[in-house]
Amino acid sequence: MPVFKTPFSGYAVRFSPFYEGRLLVATSQNFGILGNGRLHVLDLLPSAGAAGISEVAAFDTADGVYDCCWSESHDSLAVSAVADGSLKLWDASLPPSANPVRSFREHSREAHSVDWNPVRRDSFLSASWDDSLKLWTLDRPASLRTFREHSYCVYSVVWSPRHADVFASASGDRTVRVWDVREPVSTLVIPAHDHEILSCDWNKYDECCLATASVDKTIRVWDIRATRAPLANLAGHGYAVRRIRFSPHRESVLLSCSYDMTVCMWDYRAEDALIARYDHHTEFAVGIDMSVLVEGLIASTGWDEFVYVWQHGTDPRA
Amino acid sequence: MAMRDLVTGGAACAVPGTAASSSNPFGALSNAILGSSSKTQELKGLPGSAVNVPGPLPHFRTEAPLSTIPGLENEGQQHHPPVGQNNEFLARFRTADHGVLADAWNEIHQPPALQTQGGKIEAQFQEFEQIYNRGASSMLPPAWDGPPQGVLSRFLHSFVDSGRVGVPFRPAALPVLGLSEGDKQCIRDRSFIMAHHIFADKSEEYINAQVNALLHSLDIDGNERLRGPVRGSYPELEEYWTESQGALRSGMPYPADKWVSEFARQRENGDPEAWAHSFEQLHGANGWASEFEQEQSQLASVGQVRGANMSHIAAMEQSRMLAHTLAQNNDPKFQNSKFLQFVSKMSRGELIVDENQIKPATGSLTDNWADEYQAQYNAGSSSWADQFVRQELPQGTDKWVNEFVKENQQQGVDDQWVNEFSKLHVQDWAEEFGQQVAEGALGDSTADDWANTYENFLDEQLLASKQHSGASRGVYVFSDMNPYVGHPNPLREGQELFRKGLLSEAVLALEAEVLKNPDNAEGWRLLGITHAENDDDQQAIAAMMRAQEVDPTNLEVLLALGVSHTNELEQPEALRYLYKWLQNHPKYGVLATPELADSPYYGDVARLFNEAAQMSPEDADVHIVLGVLYNLSREYDKAIESFQTALNLKPRDYSLWNKLGATRANSIQSADAILAYQQALDLKPNYVRAWANMGISYANQGLYEESIRYYVRALAMNPKADNAWQYLRISLSCASRNDMFEACDSRNLDILQKEFPL
Repeated sequence: MPVFKTPFSGYAVRFSPFYEGRLLVATSQNFGILGNGRLHVLDLLPSAGAAGISEVAAFDTADGVYDCCWSESHDSLAVSAVADGSLKLWDASLPPSANPVRSFREHSREAHSVDWNPVRRDSFLSASWDDSLKLWTLDRPASLRTFREHSYCVYSVVWSPRHADVFASASGDRTVRVWDVREPVSTLVIPAHDHEILSCDWNKYDECCLATASVDKTIRVWDIRATRAPLANLAGHGYAVRRIRFSPHRESVLLSCSYDMTVCMWDYRAEDALIARYDHHTEFAVGIDMSVLVEGLIASTGWDEFVYVWQHGTDPRA
Repeated sequence: MAMRDLVTGGAACAVPGTAASSSNPFGALSNAILGSSSKTQELKGLPGSAVNVPGPLPHFRTEAPLSTIPGLENEGQQHHPPVGQNNEFLARFRTADHGVLADAWNEIHQPPALQTQGGKIEAQFQEFEQIYNRGASSMLPPAWDGPPQGVLSRFLHSFVDSGRVGVPFRPAALPVLGLSEGDKQCIRDRSFIMAHHIFADKSEEYINAQVNALLHSLDIDGNERLRGPVRGSYPELEEYWTESQGALRSGMPYPADKWVSEFARQRENGDPEAWAHSFEQLHGANGWASEFEQEQSQLASVGQVRGANMSHIAAMEQSRMLAHTLAQNNDPKFQNSKFLQFVSKMSRGELIVDENQIKPATGSLTDNWADEYQAQYNAGSSSWADQFVRQELPQGTDKWVNEFVKENQQQGVDDQWVNEFSKLHVQDWAEEFGQQVAEGALGDSTADDWANTYENFLDEQLLASKQHSGASRGVYVFSDMNPYVGHPNPLREGQELFRKGLLSEAVLALEAEVLKNPDNAEGWRLLGITHAENDDDQQAIAAMMRAQEVDPTNLEVLLALGVSHTNELEQPEALRYLYKWLQNHPKYGVLATPELADSPYYGDVARLFNEAAQMSPEDADVHIVLGVLYNLSREYDKAIESFQTALNLKPRDYSLWNKLGATRANSIQSADAILAYQQALDLKPNYVRAWANMGISYANQGLYEESIRYYVRALAMNPKADNAWQYLRISLSCASRNDMFEACDSRNLDILQKEFPL
C-alpha cells in the first residue's frame, strides 16, 4: 500500500472530506522539540500501487506543525496548529509563496490540536498548551471566544459530529470537558483517567458516546450521560495512547495509535476488543485517520517520518 | 595565547551552508551565530536540497501576525514593515545581533578576568566556550562531529542516510552556538511535556531528572520551574502509583537513587533562589568540599542545597537509570527508537567529562562534586573518570583563560588519562565456541544430525577463516566512509566513545586517529581493545600488532595480543606474547630467560607466571595472565581460580568477569557462566562480547531460543561481529527456526529483533 516519506517527524494525518485520495500531513523537525515544520498535501494515485502517493503541495513553517485539519467548507483550505502557538490557514490551490493565507496568533504556547466544525462548517477550534481553547472563524482576525477551565495543557479538541455547538476537549489535567459554545462554562467535566489525557473523539453514530486516550496506556469509552464509569476500558497499548478516532462507518469501532509505535483497531463492544494491531511504524505512531469516503481506508504517520495509507486488514507495508 | 585561540576559534566557526568563509572572526562569528541559531525563525534548517526556501523577505511577511489585518484574503502578499514586537523574527534577530555578538566582541577585546559581573562572566564564558568548540569542530565534514555531539553521531548518520544530507541535527548542533532564549524555552517546555507522555510509567522525579539531563547536555538552564501535570488530586492513587513504581525500581543498581529522589523532592518545595544564596556563602571549592563531607555524613540534611545543580546531579544518576531501564525493555523496537536513543544519549552526554573540564568554576566544581559523591556510592565504577576530573580541577578552574590554554595542553593530559583508562580495560578473550566444538569432537557429542552439521559448518568456517587469515592476517582493514577523518582530535573522541560503550563508533574515531598518526601506539592499542570488546579478534590482533610495531614493549599491548591469540586458539603466538609481557615487565623481567623468547614452551611460561604470582600475589594482572594460560592448557578449574583471585583484587573489571564467565562455560558450567556474564553486563551494559557469550552459554545448555535473543542483541550493537552471526545461524538451526535463515543470511537485524526480542 502507498507509503510516503516526509523529511520531518510525522505529527498528524487527515483525509480530505472532499477527495477520497487526498491527505493532509503535519510534520515537525527533530520530533517537534525544536526546528521547522511542514504541512504536506498528498494525493493517492489509484493505479500506482505502493509508490502511489504524490505530493500536491508542501508548506513550510518556522516551527513544528503539531496538528492539522481540512476545512469542511472549502476543498482546498486547511488549518494547522503550529508549535509557536499560531494557527495558520493554508490554501492548497495557491503556491507556497501565497501561503499561509491567514495566521492567527493568540495562543501563548504551543497549539496542539485543531478541529473544523463539521456541522456549521464556518468555524474551527484550537487547543493549546497555554491551557486554553479558542474558537475561530475565517472572517474575523481574532478569536471569537476563549475557553479557559483546564488547569494544564489541552492536547485535543473535537467537535461533536451531530451538534453544531458542542465540542469536547482533553487535557493533561486528567479531565475531559464537554462544552457548548452558547454556554459560559463547560457543561460537563469527566475525570476520565488518572493520568494525562492526550486525545478524545466523539462516536459518529451515538451523540452521547465519547472516547478518551491517556498516558495511562488505556482507551476509555464514555456515555456522557453517565460518567461514573466508562462503558469500556481498552487496555493493550504498551505506552501512552497518543490519538483516538472513532470509525466513520462502524459505530463501535475505534482506531488508536500510541507511543508503543503501534496502530490498533478496537471494537469496544466486543469481548475481544482488539481487532487488529499494526506494527509498521518504527518510531512513535502519533497520527491516524480513517477515511470517511472509503470504508476501511486508514492513514497513519509517526516520528519515523513515514505516512502509510492502507486498507484495514491488509499489511500497511505490503 | 588564549586570545588567539578565541579568535581563530571564531574564524573557524564556519557553519556549512552559511557564508562563513570570511576570515574576519567577527564576521564569521556573526555568520555562525546567525546562521545556525536556527529557527530564529528561518527555514535555514530545512534540507537544503529539497526545499525552495522562500527568500528571507517573503518569510518575514509570513511571520508577521496576519491577524492584525483583518479581511485580507492574502496577507502573505503584503509587505509589512517589521513592526516592533510584532515581528518576532526581527526582534530575535536584533537580540542576536546586539546581545550575543556584542558580548562576544567584548569578550574578545577585554580580558574577561577583569570583569566583575559574576554570573555574567559565566554566561559569556559559556557562549565562548561553545563558539570555541564549534570552531574546533567545524573542520569536520559534518558540522556536528565536535566533542559534545560525537555521542549523537550514530544517530545523526541515520538522519543523513535518510536523506537529510547537510542538515545538522538541531538539538545537537545548536547548543554549541548559543540557542536563543526562545529556542531554549521550546526545548525545555516541549521535552518536559513530551517526557511526561513518553516516560509515563516513571515517577515525577525520574521525568524531571530525565529532562534535566537532556537540557543540561544542551547547556540549557533547567532552572526554571516547569508546571507538571497535576497528579495530586487522587492522593491514594498517587501513593499507590509511587509505591508500585518503587517496587518496580527496586532492581535499580544504584543505591544513590534514594537520595536523588530525595533531592528532587526537596527541590519541589525549595525556593529556587535559595541555593544561589547558599552557594554565594560557600563559594569555592572548599565550601563545596565541606558541604560534600557534611552531606556524606548526614544525608538527612540534603535539603540545604537545592536548585538546578542538584537536578544536574540527579540527572547524571538518572540517565544511568534510563540506560538501565531501556536495557530492560523487551521491545527491540523501543530499543531502536531513534528518539529514545536520542534522549538517552543526550543524557549520557551529561557525563562527558571533558565538558566539565572546560566549564567555568561553578559548573565543574559542582559536577565534580557529583562525581565524587557518585564515586562514593558506586564504589569506584567510574573512578577513573572522577580522577580525571580531579586531576583537571586544581589547575585553576576559575580562569577561563587557563581553561583555553589547557585545551591546548590536552595532548599531554591525554596520556595520563589514557594510562589511567587502560588499566581498567584489560582485554577480554573468552572465545569458547571453538573449544566447545573440540570437546564435542572428543566424544561428548550426542551425534545428532545437528551436531554433525554444526561441526561441518564449523570446519568450513575454520577453513575459510584460515584461508582468510593466511591472506590478511595482521593486516588491519579500515572502514570506508569514515566520518571522523578530519576530526581535530579523533583519539579523544574515540576514548570518549569507547567509554560510553559506543564501540563501533569508537572504532571509526580511532581509525581516523591512526590514519592521521600511524605511529600512535596508543591509538592502535585502544583500537585493538575496542575491537576485542566488540567481538572482533582478527581486527583486534591486527591493530595490536601495529601498536606493538610502534611500541614493542608496551605491556598492555602484549597482554592484549596474548589474550586475542588465545581467543583465536593460536597457542604459540599467545605464549610468545605472554612471555614477552613477562620479559618486559619491570618487576618480573628478572624471571625471564632469554633463550625461551623465540618459541616458549607452555610449561615454562606457566611456571614463570606462577613464580611471578608468588612474588606479588596482589598483582591482578599476573593472575589474569595465569587464567589465560590455564585456558590455553584447558585447565579450567585452575583458570577459574586465577580469575577469581584477580576479581577479588579488581571486582569492577567487567572484562575480567567476562573471562571468568567464558572459562566457566569452557569447563561446562554454563549456568554459572551466565552469572558471571551478567556481572560483566551490569558493569558495562554495552559489552557486546558479553552479550554474545551469554548466547553461547545458553546454547550450550540447549536453550537455543534464549541464545538467539542474546546473539541478536549483541549483533544489534555490533552488526560486524562475524562470529556472532555464525553462532546465531547455528542456534537458529538448532531451534528449528529455519524460517529465519534468510534474515540471518541477509543480516536483516530488523526482522530478527522483531522475531527475537530480548
